[in-house]
Amino acid sequence: MGEEVDMKCESCNKKHATVHLTEISGNEKRERHLCEECAHTLNNQLVKMPSPADILTSLINQVAPEIEEMSKTVCPACGLSYLEFRSQGRLGCPMDYTTFKKGLVPLLEKMHGNSQHIGKVPSRAGKELVVKNEILQLRKELDKAVEKEDYEKAAKIRDRIFELSGSENAEGTLQ
Amino acid sequence: MLRELYNRTGEWLRGTGPESDIVISTRIRLARNLTNFPFLSRANDEQKKDIEKLARERIKENELTKNLHYIRLSQISPVDRLFLMERRLISREHAGSDGERGVAFGKAETISVMVNEEDHLRIQVIYSGFELRGAWKTIDELDNILEKELHYAFSPRFGYLTACPTNVGTGMRASVMMHLPALGLTHHIEKVFSAVGKLGLVVRGIYGEGTQVLGDLYQISNQFTLGKSEIEIVEIMESVVPRITSYERMARSALMTENKDQLEDRVWRSYGMLKMARMLSSEEVMHLLSQVRLGVNLGLINDVSIETLNELFILTLPAHLQKLEGKEMEATERNVIRASFVRKRLG
Repeated sequence: MGEEVDMKCESCNKKHATVHLTEISGNEKRERHLCEECAHTLNNQLVKMPSPADILTSLINQVAPEIEEMSKTVCPACGLSYLEFRSQGRLGCPMDYTTFKKGLVPLLEKMHGNSQHIGKVPSRAGKELVVKNEILQLRKELDKAVEKEDYEKAAKIRDRIFELSGSENAEGTLQ
Repeated sequence: MLRELYNRTGEWLRGTGPESDIVISTRIRLARNLTNFPFLSRANDEQKKDIEKLARERIKENELTKNLHYIRLSQISPVDRLFLMERRLISREHAGSDGERGVAFGKAETISVMVNEEDHLRIQVIYSGFELRGAWKTIDELDNILEKELHYAFSPRFGYLTACPTNVGTGMRASVMMHLPALGLTHHIEKVFSAVGKLGLVVRGIYGEGTQVLGDLYQISNQFTLGKSEIEIVEIMESVVPRITSYERMARSALMTENKDQLEDRVWRSYGMLKMARMLSSEEVMHLLSQVRLGVNLGLINDVSIETLNELFILTLPAHLQKLEGKEMEATERNVIRASFVRKRLG
């Protein structure tokens, strides 16, 4: 609050700014600081009552900014729309994960604190992926070993990572 | 086939395994879906039938899974479905939903595979006591067998793809069922659970999400399924669960040193009620069994086994009673039959 005391009105630049407005148009946010007099004269031009739809859009944008962008997305395989998914919480088919990826990633980050799978891989997904995931896991273990100052174990894990990345040349694909 | 189950219970109720005075059972389940089919909420009846048939045939054909019992849930009565749910062979949702669906399970009731639950496949393994490593080893192998027969939906980025994004990644939910009467009596349970929540674990009632806590039985399970490997999930549980068990043990020994008379009176009164009452509701039985179980674990009561008490938790549930009695009964009649059943068992 301390900063605001000396703030001058941005319209007349003479009196203290006592009225602080936040204008939102689309994704743009603009703050205005005015004295009472200027605010009053500006008021008539400024105050344009937003429609209920505008209020709703701005609310959604604050809570889940991806919804507006994704709102027209429909899965070509199962016909589920992104909005249906958000209201029901269930996906319609495996392909939705690709179709709704842009909206899902932030959601998964919020839910799991992560959006990259580390763990079991079905063998038919291919040897390369199995190796890649093993390296991801080993890196986590390496961090843990270093944290615990268990350098002997860390060296072993490091060698194993080199070994794996050498054999599959998977290192490059991880970055 | 179901008839064989009425008079016995699954291996996981034996009261054996590590920490089994406090950890009744350990369960791991994996959610799996097939490629080329929509998830169940978007599948029509034909597709549900195709998925069920495909899964059933592949389970029946495989050398290692062909001896599992397979039951088509659309062909049995609602009481039988409730019976399977009480036994934890199927979930509440699976018992209550409609459409073509099924369950395959082993004779020991350690493994079961639900077909067309929320996901196309829900594979589960239940062990007695605190046995996460053993449960993971078994379910990993079972999953490998099924994976050869059925083409799973999987993405390198998101892992095993599931109908609900809360299960995606490993698709794994590990949970332990814990008996925590002393933490309840000493009013420390809330504190424990808020601490558990901060470590990425969740507490639920005995039949999973949204179910009531009965008989001081709680299910503690992992919340996150994505970004952690299966072993990491096991390790998190292995670091937290023993802390809860030791906290429960501390509460038990505090009760024994500071309030022994009241505690002894409480457990013996409960035992007396179970042995003498003429009508018992299932909630009351759960509550009384919980007290007696505590009494046995503390050496205050010596003439009944943990296994008998564990079994009574399941055998006195509504569908089990009706199956044992061989007829459908209203709640009041069940309460009379339940009391007489408990008297006989504790006889």
